[in-house]
Amino acid sequence: MIELKNIEKYYANKGVKSYILRHVTTSIKQGEFVSIMGPSGAGKSTLLNILGMLEEPTYGEYHFMGEDVTAMKERQRIELYRNHIGFVFQAYHLIDEMTVAENIEAPLLYKKIPGSERKSRIADVLDRFNMVAKKDLFPNQLSGGQQQLVGIARALVAQPSIILADEPTGNLQSTQAEQIMDLFKKLNQEEGITILQVTHSEKNAQYGNRILTIEDGVIKEDISVEKQM
Amino acid sequence: MFKLNLKIALRNLWKNRGITSINVGGLAIALAAFILVMMYATYETTFDKENPNYDNIYVVGITYPEFKTYYTAAPFAKAIKQNFLEVESVGLIKESSFELTIKNGKKTLFTGKILAADYNAAKILNIQPKGGLVQPSGDVERLTYLSDKSMKTLFPSKKDNKPEMVGFGASNSGITGTIAGSIKNNLHSNFVFDGVSIGNELGNGDNYDMNNYTICLQLKSGTDVINLEQKITDLYQAELLKSKKGKRNDEIKGISAFLDPLSNLHLRPKAGNDTPYKILIALSVLGILILVIACINFTNLSIAQATKRAKEVGIKKVMGAFRLQLTTQFLVEIFMQCFVAIILALILAELILPSFNNLFQVQLTIWDLENKLFWQLPLILLVITIIAGIYPALVLSGFKPALVLKGNFSTSKQSYWLRNGLLVFQFSIAVVFIISLFTINSQLKYMQSQDVGFKTNQVVYIKNLTLFNKPAKMGSVNFEPVREKMLKIPGIQSATVATYIPGGTNGINSYSANGVKANIDFVNVEFDYFETLNIKLKEGRFFSNTFKTDTVNSAVVNETAAAKYGMKNPIGQTITGSGIEYKIVGVIKDFKSQGFEIAVQPTIYTINDPHGDYKTQIMVKIEENRMAEALAALKSQWLQINPKDGEDFRYEFLDELYGKLFKKQEQLQSVFFAAAILTIFIAILGLFAFAKYITNGRIKEIAVRKILGANDLQIFKLINKTFFVMVLVANLISWPLAYILTKKWLETFAYRVDMPILPFTLSALITILLTIVTVTIQARKAVKANPVDALKYE
Repeated sequence: MIELKNIEKYYANKGVKSYILRHVTTSIKQGEFVSIMGPSGAGKSTLLNILGMLEEPTYGEYHFMGEDVTAMKERQRIELYRNHIGFVFQAYHLIDEMTVAENIEAPLLYKKIPGSERKSRIADVLDRFNMVAKKDLFPNQLSGGQQQLVGIARALVAQPSIILADEPTGNLQSTQAEQIMDLFKKLNQEEGITILQVTHSEKNAQYGNRILTIEDGVIKEDISVEKQM
Repeated sequence: MFKLNLKIALRNLWKNRGITSINVGGLAIALAAFILVMMYATYETTFDKENPNYDNIYVVGITYPEFKTYYTAAPFAKAIKQNFLEVESVGLIKESSFELTIKNGKKTLFTGKILAADYNAAKILNIQPKGGLVQPSGDVERLTYLSDKSMKTLFPSKKDNKPEMVGFGASNSGITGTIAGSIKNNLHSNFVFDGVSIGNELGNGDNYDMNNYTICLQLKSGTDVINLEQKITDLYQAELLKSKKGKRNDEIKGISAFLDPLSNLHLRPKAGNDTPYKILIALSVLGILILVIACINFTNLSIAQATKRAKEVGIKKVMGAFRLQLTTQFLVEIFMQCFVAIILALILAELILPSFNNLFQVQLTIWDLENKLFWQLPLILLVITIIAGIYPALVLSGFKPALVLKGNFSTSKQSYWLRNGLLVFQFSIAVVFIISLFTINSQLKYMQSQDVGFKTNQVVYIKNLTLFNKPAKMGSVNFEPVREKMLKIPGIQSATVATYIPGGTNGINSYSANGVKANIDFVNVEFDYFETLNIKLKEGRFFSNTFKTDTVNSAVVNETAAAKYGMKNPIGQTITGSGIEYKIVGVIKDFKSQGFEIAVQPTIYTINDPHGDYKTQIMVKIEENRMAEALAALKSQWLQINPKDGEDFRYEFLDELYGKLFKKQEQLQSVFFAAAILTIFIAILGLFAFAKYITNGRIKEIAVRKILGANDLQIFKLINKTFFVMVLVANLISWPLAYILTKKWLETFAYRVDMPILPFTLSALITILLTIVTVTIQARKAVKANPVDALKYE
C-alpha cells in the first residue's frame, strides 16, 4: 500500500544541512498495524507527516496505492484525504465551534455524501462509540478520552483505508489510553483498516503487529510483534 | 455544508461578540459617512442631468485679458445660429437679480431672481411650466411663470392653472401684468429662479457694446467642440471689428470665446472658481479614507483571530477541503458582518441626514426610488467585503496543516509587519485630520477676533429700488431728503447710500494717476458712508457737505490704492477715470470688505461718477439698544421716507451678510470636526480590539514574568511600549503631510495665521494619551489575572 524509497528530509540553515530523516526505505502493506517509536526529535512525527502528505520529503520516492505522491497535484492529494486517509491527533483537534455530531459530519460534507446517508452513518458511528447521548455537546464539555473517541469517530466515518495517528493517547490517562488502543486493534483486525501510529509507549506499541524504531532520522529496527494476547 | 459553515460563523461571532460588535459598529459608522458623502457627490455632479440633451448643451463664455465671463451681447446669438451648421439651437437668457415686488390685492411677493429666457433657451434648458411650454405669440408677449411657492403666496386658494392679473412694484405704481401660470422650482439645476419670463426673442435692440445676456447652445451630437470654439472665437472677433470702428485691432485679438459644457457649470465653471469641485473631491477622499480605516479594522482583527481559526483550517484541510472552499467560507463570514453593517449604516445615515442637509443646504433623501444608492449599495457591500476580507481569507486558508496542527502555532510573527503597518496607517490618517481640524479652528478664531477695519454690527442694510445718483441718471432722486427724514427717527445715527455693500463685489474700472494706469475697484457713495461703517481715516478727510467740490470731483482712496499708484503724499493729487479728474481728499485705512480670502483691493470712493452703477444700497447705523424701535419706525414711515420704493420695507443686518463670507469655512470646520472624531473613534475601536488580542496572546508571557517578579507597572509598560512606538511613528509620518495640506489651505487666505505648532503637539498628545488609556484598560485584565490560571496546562 505504501512504498518509501530513500526518503530524505533536511532543513538548510546558513549552509548547514540539519537532517531530520535519512535514507528511509520501507513498505507498509494493507491491513498492517504499524507503530513508529523512537526518542524525542528522532523524526517520527516528520515521517508520519510525510506519509500523510502534510510535508514533502526533500527527496526520495513515495508511492501511495501505486501512485507517485511527489508528482501529485494538490487536488489529487485532497482527493486522497477525502477517500483514503483518516487522521487522529494527540491534541484531538476537534473544531470547538461544532457539536460532536457536526464534527463527525464534517468530512462527509467534503466527500459530498448525500444528507440521508450522512445521517445514518453518523448515527451508526455514534452508536458504536456509545456517544449518542453526547451528540449535541461541544468538545469543551467532554473529557479528554471522550474527545479522542470523537476524533477517531471522525476519522472513521469517511471509511478510510488507512488511519494515521500521532501519539493518539499522549494526552490521556492509562485507562482511557487502553480503551483507545483496544479500539484501534479491533478496527485493524475486524475491519482490516491499516493503522500507523507514532507512540512513546512500549505498551501501546504492543497492540500493533510491527514496530519501526527511528533514531536520528534513520530506521534502526523493524520488527514484528509476537502475538501474545 | 453551507448551513454548517453558517453555524460555525454565527457561533464564532457570538463567542467574540464584543469584538464583533466593535467591528460591525465601526464599519457601520464609516459606511454611514460614506453613504452620505456619496449621495452628496451624486447630487452635486448631476445638476441638470434630467435634461435630455445634457451632453450637448454648452454655454458661451468670453475671455478678456483680465477675466472670464458668461455675459455676451445678444446679437452674437443670431450670428452663431447663422454661421454654424453644427449648432442645433441657440438660446438667450438673462438673470435679473434685483428684487421685484408683485402684488395681488393685499398679498405681496418679493421675488429674488426672475430668469428671462427666449423660447429657444427655454427649450434647450428644459424649462417646463405646468401644462407644458407654450410659444409666446408675436414679438412683445412675455409669458411669466412663478414658482409654486410664490403662486401659493399670491393666490392661496388657486386650484387651476389659469393666468392671473397682478400688480408690479408699489401699489401706487399702477403697473400691472399677467402671470401665465406656475412652474416647479427645480433646485437641482444650474438655472434656479423664483420665476421665469419667456419671450419669442430677447435683446432685439442690443448691440455689441451691451454684454447683458448669456448664450446657451445645443450642439448636434458628435460636434468637434474645440474646433467650434476656435470658429466661434474668430466669428466674435470679426463681429467686434465690424461693430466697433474705433476699437484697436490688437485689443480685439486679446478677446476670445469659449464653450463651457452644462456639466461643468455647477462645480467648475470656466468663468468662476472651482472651489466647490475641490471641496467635493476632498469630501469624497475623506469618505473613502474613513471607509478604508474601518475596513482595516476588519482586516487587522481577522488576522489577529487567525491563531484561533488556524486549527479549524488545518483540520478541514486534512479532511479534504479545497483551499477555495475555505476562502469562500471566510469571505462569507465577513460578508455577513458587512451586510449587518450596511443595514445599520442606512439607519444611521437616515438619522444624520437632517443635520447633514442643513449643513450643506441640500435636500437629500435616502428613500427615493430614483436614488442610485439602491444599485450602488450592493456594489459597495461587495467591494468592502473584498477589501476587508480578501487578505485574511487568503492568509487563513493558506495555513499549512502540518504546522498549525502541531499545537504551539502562532501567527504573530508572520503578519507582524502588516498588522502594525495597518495600525500606523489608521493613526496617521487620524492625526492628519486632528491637525487639520485644529488649524482650521485657529484660522477661524483668527477671522472672528481680527479687526476687519470696519464695524457691521449696528448697521442695517435696507433693500431699495429707488436710484439715488447725482447728477441724476434716469429717474434717480436726491438722497438728502430721505436721509433727513430717517435721521429724525430716534436711534438712527447716520445713513448713507452706495453702489455696493461690503461683503459683495465692487465694480472695476480703469483709473490713472501718477503716470500709472490700472484697473481698480470703485464704489460710488454718499456722505456719511465711512462714518456709518466706522472706517478709519489715515490722512486727509472724509467726504463732507461743507466742501462744494465733494459732489463734483473729490475722491477718497484706500492705502492699497495709494501704494498701487506709488503716491508718497496722495492728498491733493489727481486721479483720472470715467472722464473726470478727481482730486484725492482723503486716504482711509484698508478694511477687509471681501473677507479674509481676498487681499484688500486698491479701491477708489467717489460721489460723482457718470459711468458708475446705480446707488441703491442704503445703509443705516442704529444705536444698539434702540434697534427694535428704530426698525419699527422705519417700517411704519417707509412710504413717507422713500415714496418711490413703495410701502414695503425690507432689510437685513449687515453683519449677517458679511458673515456669509465665512459660511464655507464654517462648513469645512464642521466636516473636519466630524471626520476627525470619526477617524480617531474608529481607529481607537480597532486599537481596543487589537490590544485585547495582543494581551490575550501574551497572557502566558505575562504570567511567567509575574512569577519571575515583575510588578504591575513594569508589565503595563511592556504592553504599552509597542503601541506607543506605533502611534509615535504615525505622528511622525503624518506631520509632514498635514503640514503640506494645511499650509496649502491656509494659502487660500490673503489674511491668515502663521502655521501654528500647537496642532502638531496636541495631536501627538491626544493620540498617545488615547492609546495608552485604551491599551492599559485591556492590559489590566491580563495583569490582574492569577498566573496559575494562565499557566495551567490545557
